[in-house]
Amino acid sequence: MKKTALYEQHSLLKAKLIDFSGWKMPISYDGVLAEHHHVREKVGIFDVSHMGEFWIRGRDAQTYLQYLTINDVNKLDVGQGQYTAICNENGGMIDDLILYKTGEEEFFACVNAANITKDFEWFKQGASRFERVDLENASEGWSQIAVQGPNSEAAVLSLVNAQDQERIAGLPYTHIADISFGGSVCKLARTGYTGEKGYEIYLPNSAAASCWQALLATEPQTQIKPIGLGARDTLRLESCYLLYGNDMDESVSPLEAGISWATKLGGEDFCGKSAIASQKTAGVSRKIAAFLFEDQGVPRKGMQILKDGEDIGVVTSGSVFPSVGGSGGLALIASNKAVVGDLVQVNVRGKHKNAKLVKKPFYKAKTKD
Amino acid sequence: MDCPENLFYTKDHEWVTGESGTVTVGVTAYAIEQLGDIVHVDLPDVGEEFHEGDSFGTIESTKTVSDLYMPGEAKVIEVNKLVANNPEEIQESPYDKGWLIKIQLSEPAKNLINSANYESYIQED
Repeated sequence: MKKTALYEQHSLLKAKLIDFSGWKMPISYDGVLAEHHHVREKVGIFDVSHMGEFWIRGRDAQTYLQYLTINDVNKLDVGQGQYTAICNENGGMIDDLILYKTGEEEFFACVNAANITKDFEWFKQGASRFERVDLENASEGWSQIAVQGPNSEAAVLSLVNAQDQERIAGLPYTHIADISFGGSVCKLARTGYTGEKGYEIYLPNSAAASCWQALLATEPQTQIKPIGLGARDTLRLESCYLLYGNDMDESVSPLEAGISWATKLGGEDFCGKSAIASQKTAGVSRKIAAFLFEDQGVPRKGMQILKDGEDIGVVTSGSVFPSVGGSGGLALIASNKAVVGDLVQVNVRGKHKNAKLVKKPFYKAKTKD
Repeated sequence: MDCPENLFYTKDHEWVTGESGTVTVGVTAYAIEQLGDIVHVDLPDVGEEFHEGDSFGTIESTKTVSDLYMPGEAKVIEVNKLVANNPEEIQESPYDKGWLIKIQLSEPAKNLINSANYESYIQED
């Protein structure tokens, strides 16, 4: 079992630990519900060091990434990031990721923990068509701390020296900037996975524990608390942020996953484009839909969705919704069988519970506040 | 861990107020601690009959669903409506307000353990 550079901190904080794709990670410290509310109301920090970090450098880096990823890389200014994905030739999603342009010929990607090896192989394979692309998988040596919630700005500003305060306080949503912390150059991005205003700090493992402690030391001003992966999941689901391995995999296209807004079908060629374009012309047969329970109970991944007694799909993520109230989730359903407003049933261990298809998201993001 | 001495226990982490007659059933504080935040409980209807070891319902935390097991041959005579609507009561008060069901045992329950044995059982768990 792998441990992050913050493992000792979690032990000191008496976190409940779980196995998460080969990593020993904190699921909760105080209880999932309390942690969830704390992020919505104050601020929390998450150890997400299990996630992967790749560097993509070189004269052809941008052309290469324009080919490899589904979003329009040419739209990125230096210091800006975008949500994107990599797809196979059939248009199935290999992973979703955040791609930052950190220099004229330098990019930085954050990928899912479970996919690091697979993704890096795919990155390398794609790079063989380009001459001047250097790839580095920095995942082993880098940690990531997410700082999320209304008080997140105050917490991250405490890490930054006086001359950088203004630059960091003004960092727009999805942008990334260098900060110096404990003698290391770290990357601070105004991104997150909770639906709240927040930041993600990428830093060398050697700086992780002191950064974590420095953030927790702002507690008297910011009321910051450590938050586990349990609340990270309920927070992201209320905001309808997809989770790779749950809501999509290599059989699901970006159109089916509902991220056509991140897919440059009108732009340059990219891997998987022709398959995705054909799917768009023909119409998708499945789609990720959001549903809210009308009955008591909690939907879980893998439960069957029915409409008028007919099997129309499957729950991909389900949970209680601490901020929205009730419970619900995301489901991959046959697109011609149900629309927003329809009543469907979820088969909860043999009991058919009523649920209503609703517009995404359940919780309106405050990321740009 | 809190395991009241006047109660009997199953190895599936239910507590029971007695070994025969009409008894109350709940979930132990140890089990609640393992589960985390309780968000839903599914309980049987009054009048339903179960064999020892049958699943009579489920208890759900934010992350997992666990079965609840009947401690003996029994018929459900009362269901705690409070916890059905406020599952957090199970967490806050597992041995009091957070009880789950009252049952009529049709024969004495044979496989219950006392508080001391339950305590050593969970230490090995």
